Amino acid sequence: MRQLLRVALDLLLEATRRRWVLGLFGSITLVLTALGLSLELDVVDGALAGSKLFGVLLSDDVVSAHRALSGVSQAVAYLAFYGGAVFLVVACSDFAPELLSPGRIEHLLSLPVARWQLLFGTYLGVLGLVSAGILYGAVGLTALLGVKTGVWSPGLLLGSTVGLLGFAALYAVMLCSAFFVRSASVSGGAGAAMLGLGVVASYRESLTGLLEPGLVRTLVSWALVPVPRLGGLATMSARIAAEQAIDGAVASRLAAGCGLFSVAALALAAWRFERMDF
Amino acid sequence: MTAAVAVTDLTKTYRALFGGAHEALSGLTLSIPRGAAFGLIGPNGAGKTTFIKVLLGVVQATSGEVTVLGGAPGDVPVRARIGYLPERMHLPAALSARQFLRSVATLKGLAPSDGELSRALERVGLANDGQRIGSFSKGMRQRLGLAAAMLGAPELLILDEPTDGIDPVGRVEVRQLLLEERARGVTLLLNSHLLSETERVCDRVGVLQRGQLRLEGTLDEVRRGATAFRARFEAGADEGALRAAGFVDGVFSGDVAALNEALDRARATGARLVALSPVERDLEQVLSEAMKEAS
Repeated sequence: MRQLLRVALDLLLEATRRRWVLGLFGSITLVLTALGLSLELDVVDGALAGSKLFGVLLSDDVVSAHRALSGVSQAVAYLAFYGGAVFLVVACSDFAPELLSPGRIEHLLSLPVARWQLLFGTYLGVLGLVSAGILYGAVGLTALLGVKTGVWSPGLLLGSTVGLLGFAALYAVMLCSAFFVRSASVSGGAGAAMLGLGVVASYRESLTGLLEPGLVRTLVSWALVPVPRLGGLATMSARIAAEQAIDGAVASRLAAGCGLFSVAALALAAWRFERMDF
Repeated sequence: MTAAVAVTDLTKTYRALFGGAHEALSGLTLSIPRGAAFGLIGPNGAGKTTFIKVLLGVVQATSGEVTVLGGAPGDVPVRARIGYLPERMHLPAALSARQFLRSVATLKGLAPSDGELSRALERVGLANDGQRIGSFSKGMRQRLGLAAAMLGAPELLILDEPTDGIDPVGRVEVRQLLLEERARGVTLLLNSHLLSETERVCDRVGVLQRGQLRLEGTLDEVRRGATAFRARFEAGADEGALRAAGFVDGVFSGDVAALNEALDRARATGARLVALSPVERDLEQVLSEAMKEAS
């Protein structure tokens, strides 16, 4: 376990010096700073009387600050889920191929680290990095809106953990693909394809309903069964961020499906890794 | 005392995805005693790097028995006692030399102080350790790789082309380092195309060709060759008679029994032996003769 954490920390150490990662944290800081400086919220007795962004009047309707914040959090959660997933798929696409690059993997495998520790340590390291980014963004935005409106809601923070769950499934596929084809493009492509499939899988019933009944419909329907419902997760994340009620059974199914899928992808990667010569 | 490396009938076959196979190592049997400095030589594609990778568990043997430091290759506790420098080391460009060494040390389960890291870097001639590895020359990368391999005073050092890309002055420094490591009692396995380097550092040598060990022994045994002797006869000896006895330009090729018979024949013609010594070849000759024999 200690070696696994060492591998994860090692990856984090290296990642903190990468342009992509610095860009991620820089972008979050920039967005938060820009919002902090340009967003004006006129809150009187718990009601939002007006809002301006960069001096432009957004709304002068009087609504409850809590309700207004709920809408903002929901929009931010959707944007962060999909936008963040795309950015992170690109930003994290070369971690595994880099780990497996000739001259590096031999050296790593000559150190007292088991292959499975390298694999899961890399996975944990990337998730740690992404968690830090998500946490930074969510805490920053929560604090910003809290200071400006006086309404302190943990919705964004909680919703962002669902986003992490979705990315965990995406990165499991990306990592697994790298053990079959060592390429950042393939790894990134696998992540992007999985994101697309995950959205399609969320609307499996309605989409397959568009197909003529028969073999094709059955095949498509069955092929989408193991794919994690990422679109459903995005909706769940947005609802949690907006502090709206969620169906516990549906949420558990979505989370369990995502978790099982990640475990299966990682098990396949581990099986492949153990048999590889470098 | 057990051998540092013991390999019996080792075979490694690489199989292509759609048929076809390439046997990189074929029935290799070899033992490297603890404390020895073993030089592995052979032409490109002989299987040297594959052999090294099998010892580290990076490549899995198809068949045969392999023991490294008394354990199986790839065993995590065994690997903790090995230092390895790959042929083409890929280093993380964004880190500094010190950060990289610390990262390797952490994965080796070591916790070196700043002073120890500085000494490790100074030892390989890397003083400016704040510089990012991305801007390092090939030689500097090689030196850093060597420093990483030597971290934690390993019992077995496996170095694949350690002086590749290092200038002549640097090579002397690296050689000195390796000799220091030897003096510490480390077992050294060196794969180098620079045969003069192998001759200067190693006390045992193995010639590998097409995955098979063609020749193996101490440096003296290998250089001497088992079958050639240089004889010097008293002036005035009949050159034609000596040639007929088997001494061509004073060199006799054959085993000891044949040599004695040839000497008897030469003496019968009146020639008197003044000096006799085994012919010593350099490793270049050893390699080239081994390759000729094999082909």
